[in-house]
Amino acid sequence: MDSLAWMLLRGAFRGASVAGAFCGFGTMFLAATLLRRHDLRGLRAIAWVSLSLALGAGLGWFLLQTADFASAQSLSDVIGAIPIVAQDTRFGNLLLARSAALILATMLFQAKLVRPAMLIAAGAVIAESWLGHGGAMADVTGHILLAVSIAHLFAGAAWLGALPALRLAIKTLPEPDARRLGQDFSPLGIACVVTLLATATIQYILLIGRPAALFTTAYGLTASAKILLLIGLITLAARNRQVLVPGLPAARSALLRSIDVEIMVGLAVLIAAGVILQFEPPGMVMVQ
Amino acid sequence: MKSFAPLACILALASVTPAFAHAFLKHATPGVGSVVAAPPASLLLAYTENLEVPFCTVTVTGPAGAQVQTARPRPVPGEPAEIAVPVHITAPGTYKVSWHALSVDTHKTQGTFSFTVSQ
Repeated sequence: MDSLAWMLLRGAFRGASVAGAFCGFGTMFLAATLLRRHDLRGLRAIAWVSLSLALGAGLGWFLLQTADFASAQSLSDVIGAIPIVAQDTRFGNLLLARSAALILATMLFQAKLVRPAMLIAAGAVIAESWLGHGGAMADVTGHILLAVSIAHLFAGAAWLGALPALRLAIKTLPEPDARRLGQDFSPLGIACVVTLLATATIQYILLIGRPAALFTTAYGLTASAKILLLIGLITLAARNRQVLVPGLPAARSALLRSIDVEIMVGLAVLIAAGVILQFEPPGMVMVQ
Repeated sequence: MKSFAPLACILALASVTPAFAHAFLKHATPGVGSVVAAPPASLLLAYTENLEVPFCTVTVTGPAGAQVQTARPRPVPGEPAEIAVPVHITAPGTYKVSWHALSVDTHKTQGTFSFTVSQ
């Protein structure tokens, strides 16, 4: 279970699980803010699909991680370790609690209790931070990394997680409302991008530390891929803001295609984020 | 004052001491490479990150090659980054400790060290 292929698979499931949580929260966040005056029925469908992704990928991650914890050689080893992981590890406790929180949030969202749903989903999103390096360390560095991770996840979820709901709204709302939504989403996106860049910079300083490590370590190479994907996302968002939103309604199809690409690239970013957490950060010192 | 905020952030980050990815051994009792007069009743291993104790293992091998740990590692109350390992040591000599740790950030680490009981 320690081979690169297993690590990549675990990372992919972890990233997909986070993507589901992001999308659930982002949909509720948009419904509670920019779409609060609109009752788009499709938003609930997006929330349920997001929940399915979070739970399905979360289950895959749980099983793969359990196999890794137990150094399992057979399926029976994995099955035997499941109760221990579920009950006696932070990973198991947190993953189960997050799944329950997302189920509750989606049910509340279905019942049109949008704000409570959003708050619970936000908790489910940031819970991931306690499974990272910051959540594991009790010193100053750990506290900084934990705070930075929470801000990073929240900004990522508010921006990337809202994209499917934004797409639905741009597609179905009448032209003036769609244009206003596109314009109003822009400052939110900028705030999220600024937060993501600032927190990523701090993570770079603490976890990578030197530019060469970006190209010579597995952690650094994955981080480089993530940075390139993020640059692509920012470019797409800038084009949406400067060209496509002002060009509505004529540019509606182009804007929808652009958001489609953003969603795909965003998913790739989250998969990369899941993978990167499987590797050892080169900026941290090993004392053995 | 606002103009000093970025500088303060940079200084705060620069002042952070080197950190440790994953759970690595910070210190142990008996200490790494130490010589102790009396045989310990248990070992204490302290790590750089909080641990998932059910998936941590420690074996302590005596000079004759026999394992002397008497139970699995146990959590230390109030110290989530430490584990205690009961041992039954009856003879002097050098004891090798081989540990596998699982951090709460889901990463595994391993290492070895030894200590000597002189009497």
